[in-house]
Amino acid sequence: MPDMLEVTAYALQVLLILMAIAIVTHKNNGTIIILIAVFSLVTASLYVINKAPDVAIAEVAIGSAIIPLIYVISISRQREFIVLDKAMDDFIISDNSFTGVGYIFLKRFTDFYHLELNISNDVRLCSLGAGRDQLLCEETNVDLIITKDEDTGKYILKGKESSILMNKLKQMAKDYEMIEVVTFKDRDFGD
Amino acid sequence: MIRNGFLLLLLLVLFSVFYFSLQDLLEFQKTSASYFLEYGLDETGSSNLVTSILLDYRLFDSLFEAGILLIAVSGIIWISKHEIEEKNAEFMIDKFKTPDLFVTFSRLVYPLMLAFGFYIIINGHVSPGGGFQGGAIVATAILILYYIDAEKETNIKLIVTIEKYLYLTILVIASLSFFTRGTFFTNIFDPGTFDTGTQSIYLIVLNVLVGFKVALGLWTIFTAFLKEGR
Repeated sequence: MPDMLEVTAYALQVLLILMAIAIVTHKNNGTIIILIAVFSLVTASLYVINKAPDVAIAEVAIGSAIIPLIYVISISRQREFIVLDKAMDDFIISDNSFTGVGYIFLKRFTDFYHLELNISNDVRLCSLGAGRDQLLCEETNVDLIITKDEDTGKYILKGKESSILMNKLKQMAKDYEMIEVVTFKDRDFGD
Repeated sequence: MIRNGFLLLLLLVLFSVFYFSLQDLLEFQKTSASYFLEYGLDETGSSNLVTSILLDYRLFDSLFEAGILLIAVSGIIWISKHEIEEKNAEFMIDKFKTPDLFVTFSRLVYPLMLAFGFYIIINGHVSPGGGFQGGAIVATAILILYYIDAEKETNIKLIVTIEKYLYLTILVIASLSFFTRGTFFTNIFDPGTFDTGTQSIYLIVLNVLVGFKVALGLWTIFTAFLKEGR
C-alpha cells in the first residue's frame, strides 16, 4: 500500500499546476485574486508535507494574505471614473434619484469600459473658477468636469486630451444635442 | 507556434538544470545537515535549527536580507512620491464602502492575529517561525485595521525613520559578539560558559527586532499603495 502522505503530495502538485493554468487563462480579476490566494495555500501545505513549517508560515502570511489584499486595493482604485458635477441641476439628479439625462449618458459610457461611475459635487472643488478647470483635472483624481453654458444652455464635459476614453466620449456625445465635449491640451511638464 | 516551442524548450532546459543541481545538493546535504542536527542546539541555544542558521551560523546573510527589504521600501516610497499635494474629491456615494459583516469580523479577528504574530516572533527559537514570519502576520493584522477604518491617517516618515533605526540596532547587536567572543555576527554568550537558556535571550532580542522591522516595512509598502489614487 502506498504512503498516504506521498499520494497527497502528488495530488497537491497536480492541483498546483492546474491552479497556475487557471490563473493565466482566467478573465475575471476578482476570481484571479482568489485563485492566487488558494495557490499559495496549496504551496504552504506542500511545504508542511516536505517538513519546512518555517517557510510554510511565511508563505501563508505573504502569499495568501498580504499579496491578495494589495491586489484588491490596487484593482478597486483603478476601476473608478470620477466626474465632478459643477452644474448642480437636473442633468444628473432629477426627482431625487440618478435618472437625469447626463447620468444615463455617462452610465452607458462607463458600462462600455466596465468602469465604476463615481459622481462628486465636492464644494471645495466646485467653488474654483472655470479658468482653473485644467489645473483641477491634472492635480486631483477627477477625470471629467461637467459645467453648464448659461447662454446656450449646453452642458460642457471637460477632460484631458491624452485620455483615450475622451475620443469615445466625443463619439457618443454626437447623438445628444445638449452635450458638448471639450478636451484640454496637455501641457509640458518638467521644464 | 515557433515561439511556443521555444518556450517549451526553455522550460525543459530549466527543469533539467534544477533536477541535476538537486542531485548535487543531496550529496552536500549529508555532511552539513548532520552537523547542524548534532551541534545546533549546543552551539546556538536554539532548538529550531532554521533560527539557529538564520540568526547565528549565517547571520551575515540575514543582515543583508533585512537590508534588501529596507531598500525595497525606500524604492516604493520614491516611486509613489507626489510633488503636488493631491486634493481629492469627496464622493456623493462611496461605492467602495467595506461591508458591515467584514468590518465586524475583522474587529473580532484583529487582536487574535496580533497575538498570534507576537507569539510566533517570541517563540521563534523553539517552534517554527521567527522574526520574518511573525512580522508578516503582524503587518497583515495592521492591514486589516485599514479595512475597518478607511480614513486612518499614518505618518509614513515616522515609520520609515523607526525602521531605519531598528536596522541599525540589529547591526549593532549582531556585531556585539566581537567584544565578548572575538568574532563578528554570532551569539553574544559563549556556548562554553553559558547554558542554552541564557543563549536564547540573544535570539529572542534579535527575533523581536527583526519582527518589528519587517512589520514596519510591510506596513509602509501597503500604506504607499493605499495612498495611490485616493
